[in-house]
Amino acid sequence: MSRSREEIFEKLVELLAPFNPEGKELHPDTEIAAELNIDSVGVMDFIMEVEDEFDIDIPLNVLSETHTMDDLVRVVAERIS
Amino acid sequence: MVSRYDGTASAGNGEDALRLLPVHVEGQPRRAGGFSTLSEGLDFAARGGTGFNFHSPRGRLEHVLSYAELRERALVTAGRLAAAGIARGDRVAIVAETGPDFMAAFFACQYAGIIPCPMPYPMQIGGRDAYIARIAAMMRAAHVRAALGPADLAGHLADAARAAGIPVVLTHDELRNLPEKEGAIAPFRPDEVAYIQYSSGSTSDPKGVLISQRAICANTRGILEHGMRMRTDDRAFSWLPLYHDMGLVGFCLSPMMGQVTVDYLATPAFARRPVLWLTLMSQNRNTVCYAPSFGYDLAARRVNGKAKELDLSAWRIAGIGGDMVRPEILQAFATALAPAGFDPKAFLPSYGMAEMSLAISFAELETPMKVDRVDRAQYKLAGRAMPSDNPDPQKTRVFVSCGRPLPGHELKVVDRKGRSLGEREIGHIWVKGPSMMDGYYRNPEATAEVMREDGFMDTGDMGYLLDGEIVITGRAKDLILYHGRNIWPQDIEWAAEQVEPLRSGDVAAFALEGSGGHEKVVVLAQCRLKDPEEMEDLRTRISAAVHRAVGVECDIVLVPPKSLPFTSSGKLSRSKARAMFLAGEILPLQIPGKNGAELQAAVNA
Repeated sequence: MSRSREEIFEKLVELLAPFNPEGKELHPDTEIAAELNIDSVGVMDFIMEVEDEFDIDIPLNVLSETHTMDDLVRVVAERIS
Repeated sequence: MVSRYDGTASAGNGEDALRLLPVHVEGQPRRAGGFSTLSEGLDFAARGGTGFNFHSPRGRLEHVLSYAELRERALVTAGRLAAAGIARGDRVAIVAETGPDFMAAFFACQYAGIIPCPMPYPMQIGGRDAYIARIAAMMRAAHVRAALGPADLAGHLADAARAAGIPVVLTHDELRNLPEKEGAIAPFRPDEVAYIQYSSGSTSDPKGVLISQRAICANTRGILEHGMRMRTDDRAFSWLPLYHDMGLVGFCLSPMMGQVTVDYLATPAFARRPVLWLTLMSQNRNTVCYAPSFGYDLAARRVNGKAKELDLSAWRIAGIGGDMVRPEILQAFATALAPAGFDPKAFLPSYGMAEMSLAISFAELETPMKVDRVDRAQYKLAGRAMPSDNPDPQKTRVFVSCGRPLPGHELKVVDRKGRSLGEREIGHIWVKGPSMMDGYYRNPEATAEVMREDGFMDTGDMGYLLDGEIVITGRAKDLILYHGRNIWPQDIEWAAEQVEPLRSGDVAAFALEGSGGHEKVVVLAQCRLKDPEEMEDLRTRISAAVHRAVGVECDIVLVPPKSLPFTSSGKLSRSKARAMFLAGEILPLQIPGKNGAELQAAVNA
């Protein structure tokens, strides 16, 4: 099942909503953990949602190099293609 | 998810899985430790049928490593480490992933007389740079000869090794391709060292706890024989990281020294799916498991309706360590898991630290936790823990007894001048005994700060004695305990001070106990800006900088210039800053939106 980058971005925004109570607007260059000030438990929760939604595994080395929404879109796109 | 694991679904490992039930092998006496080295312990355990099971992030049994197999692999790996040019007495940094490769490498070092230094792995999203800085500082401090880790961290390791000037970087796969060198087997003797653990000190100044064979043998024996009274039918479970003392000593070295089987779930897998912990314990009928309070909290919040599908009735020791024991959190866990047959008498508060190998004291087994409710005003003002039956929770504080020290160990509570205090008098906790570290590796100054000539060590913790048992009330040091992690406020402050226009000395970080016993990290930053929008932007940028560097969510409070207290020697006094903030003597700057006023209000309510 392939999805466009835009679709992936939209899905990520949806999955992030519970962790973004202030409804901060999300852009491709938004730094996920740092700018939204999500705690480490929340981040892991979100990553699990992403993994389950797209049925992928995101290893720790890859996660450590993922900063922005755009980075995460790319990580997901590479793994579902 | 659950049905994928039934002991046979894991291709080829079905029989091994059955073999790893903690069975008593005929004709083979069990020994609860009492060995004089770790390798001697493994030689013995390898004669039995127990070992380690590793579960995948989705709960499938992935690897089975019996102690016999672990010993075989360790001996082979020892020869390969020698082939890589690592000599007896050298230090090796090993990424402590929860898997057979780390175990084989750690024990290979024991057989080759090489000093292993377990290293963390990156857990934070976007945390690559902070991770590399952290392990590079550890490698430098340990003067390691080589760094070893999994292939997917090869890039991270290479960058860290380059920064630290470490000549050799190897992945486990590369190591496997080396020939075995003859004559590499020369196990540590009982009077030699065992490993170096980096769980102390800030990122820029990590302190390696040097643990001897004597210390680790004494501590594991105390844990097995006295603290947990391990039985032949015990089966342990752990999701704790193996680069921390509780994971390494509590749930790898101790079970091995007692020939107990352990089921592992890697820490990141637990963090993503906390309930998998309980699901696996239910399936495997595990009897012993430890977690910090926050782990119980997380699982209780996520378990929802699933509790009634679980069977946790075999769980006899649910240890708490690594952070303050929070009775209300544990109560919530017990209530949520009552449908699974969880027995709250399984809770075992305990006290320890890496500097004492791991364990110092355990509460009584199979008895309800001893909860002490004390008068809040007397506690705060007179430094005394006086019992109170005042029903108003604002007037009391609740602490939990962590029991008596292990046999052969001593513990006392002293005042500032080192004079012993009486029952219920709050003071500094000093300990003494055979489990103590040799010192901080190549750091005599830091060692002298905590280890005294009379053999006692200042733990840096505060507490009081209650019927000869120890009750921990907090820390004298500024260390922040956050979700079971040790966080040095210096790391937070340094990160925040890099944010324009802040300067060195503008920031103080400390923890506050928020509602429900949850620790909050507060960052006070002296701000010279006047424009509300710029101020709000500064708060966001500080928060982002701290997140990137330390991976901690915090409350940023902007305060006026020159409001942070410094000692006469020019050092920031965090405890004073914290007290002044709570007393309203440091006032948050007024900006629209929240700026910490609610924190003061909540704590002072």
